[in-house]
Amino acid sequence: MIAALVPYNTLIVAAAVAAVGLAAGMVGALAVLRRRALAGDAAAHGSLAGVATAFLATGRRDLGWLLVGGLVTALATLAALVAIRRWTRTRDDAAMALVLGVSFGAGVALVTGITARGLPDSAGLEQFLLGHTAGVTAGDAALLASCALGAAALVALGLKELTLVAFDEAFAAAAGWPVGLVDLGLVGLIAVMVVVGLPAAGAVLVTALLVIPPVAARQWTDRVGTMVLLAGLLGTLSALVGVVGSALVPRLPTGPVVVLAAAALAAVSAVAAPGRGWWSRRAAARRALVAWHEGDLLASLARGDGPPAGADDALRRALADGLVARGAGGFALTATGTARAADLARRREAWARILATAPDDARAFLTVDLPDPAAVIDGARLAEIRAAAERRR
Amino acid sequence: MDGAGGEAMAPVVEFHDVTVAYSGRPVLWHVDLVIRGPALYGIVGPNGAGKSTLLKAALGLVPLAGGRVTFDGAALADSRARVGYVPQRETVDWGFPVNVMDVVLMGTYGRLGWFRRPGRRERDVAGECLRRVGLADLAGRQIGRLSGGQQQRVFLARALAQEAVIYLLDEPMAGVDAGSQELIFGVLDSLRAAGRLVIVVHHDLRSAAGWFDGVALVDMRVVAAGPTAAVLTTENLRRTYAGQPAVLEELARAVAAGGRTP
Repeated sequence: MIAALVPYNTLIVAAAVAAVGLAAGMVGALAVLRRRALAGDAAAHGSLAGVATAFLATGRRDLGWLLVGGLVTALATLAALVAIRRWTRTRDDAAMALVLGVSFGAGVALVTGITARGLPDSAGLEQFLLGHTAGVTAGDAALLASCALGAAALVALGLKELTLVAFDEAFAAAAGWPVGLVDLGLVGLIAVMVVVGLPAAGAVLVTALLVIPPVAARQWTDRVGTMVLLAGLLGTLSALVGVVGSALVPRLPTGPVVVLAAAALAAVSAVAAPGRGWWSRRAAARRALVAWHEGDLLASLARGDGPPAGADDALRRALADGLVARGAGGFALTATGTARAADLARRREAWARILATAPDDARAFLTVDLPDPAAVIDGARLAEIRAAAERRR
Repeated sequence: MDGAGGEAMAPVVEFHDVTVAYSGRPVLWHVDLVIRGPALYGIVGPNGAGKSTLLKAALGLVPLAGGRVTFDGAALADSRARVGYVPQRETVDWGFPVNVMDVVLMGTYGRLGWFRRPGRRERDVAGECLRRVGLADLAGRQIGRLSGGQQQRVFLARALAQEAVIYLLDEPMAGVDAGSQELIFGVLDSLRAAGRLVIVVHHDLRSAAGWFDGVALVDMRVVAAGPTAAVLTTENLRRTYAGQPAVLEELARAVAAGGRTP
């Protein structure tokens, strides 16, 4: 059905690019957690010179050899970065700008030179700059997909080790793990994914395919495993949008569409993700503030004072909820309101006791809406705290 | 519990003429120190004295310019499984997407080896370690949403999960409130009681006097080492904290007061 509308080749390419997006997101998640995102950028810019050199050496546009060439100069660029950091006193950002500029400059010069001389087949070379999947054959697609799925499998296999080193290098090294080797594996995977991602996103933008999906995924979860999986899925989605976009619009490169799609997913995640998202945090802060004002209002009325200044919102809500009623002498608590005020007072005292004996627990669990301590602190721990408070008395 | 038992099994860490230098400047200089367990042993000294570096040198985290460190007479490479480590809390990103249980499970990775994932047994061990540090109810919480003392207890639980014989802890009481400090010292005390050797880099001399069996005063070299009461003398403290008279005065008062309360 779809096959009737879309050429077979486009479907194969789309599947391959989806695999690339999956692996880029997964590798990228670990790269971001290990703070190696910029290494990906250096590798990407460095790969272009290798692609051009491989074209010159082989004289034809054979994707396999072009990518091998790209991988060689990508790794050489990373090696240069490491060398500059180790043996000169150049700061990291300056070293990065230096290496990135020089390697990319060389790549652009080579590609432009080759294209200008009009060598046969050379027109397609510029597609490695911004990415264009139109020229990808079914054979190329199989190569890209197998490299990508291999990288994804390696991430899945070594997730424990990669996570350990990314989280706590010193502990890992002290426990005998070869941190350097694990890092080398990660950087190798980053370089491979950068090169494999070239046809889809191009040298300039492929880093975005590694970095943006993990950033988006991080908003939705607090676990590494979930984050890696989600980054892979979001990467897949972005890559597919890119392929479709550049297939529909003539001459539109794939890279920018991929990046924009990923960025849109990241923006939606940052706003809408439950828990960490902007919307959810704002709503939680508001709920807490409303609860706080209500508590204030009830306490004030229970003392026989009038409603405190600035409590209009809380007052309206309390009236609607039947906690407060308007009487002859002003506002007064209803029976429900009185019970609730007493309940809140008890909780406030309970939290004050916990804060005095176990400030750590109070800090970890107390929110301004004054939850029941028994609802948030483990029963056994709460008993310990109460016993400690008794002893202190 | 170590079946073989006996004197020969008592853990011991030996620093032989250890020197560590950063870009040509010695941070540790001809350090000779023998620490015998079971004991709760403090490494104490002024800021920048090389206390943390001493632990890192023992663990192979910084290169030695000279000398060697042995664990029960064996080189580090043959002793990894016998050594547990608690790094300084500030060395990791607490916004990292792992929960408390994930971190404690990392203590079991050494026994698991490459590519094997923690299973039922590892989860049980980690759960028990969390109970010992009073964090059983926080197993599922992201580690950034803990107080400083709780984060330090998570690190301690992870070290417990290593099931080591020798424990090296780097400033486990830094930024920790009194309640957590008491709890942590209690756990360390129980390790000593179980025959372990616990070595703690520590900055607060008042609690040092109360808790440690032995102390080494370190300021680039070992100024004095031995039983706590014999080491923490005004004379030794003056030699260690020379140039910091204010600190010195407070320390002298603290030592004179003695006592076990932190």
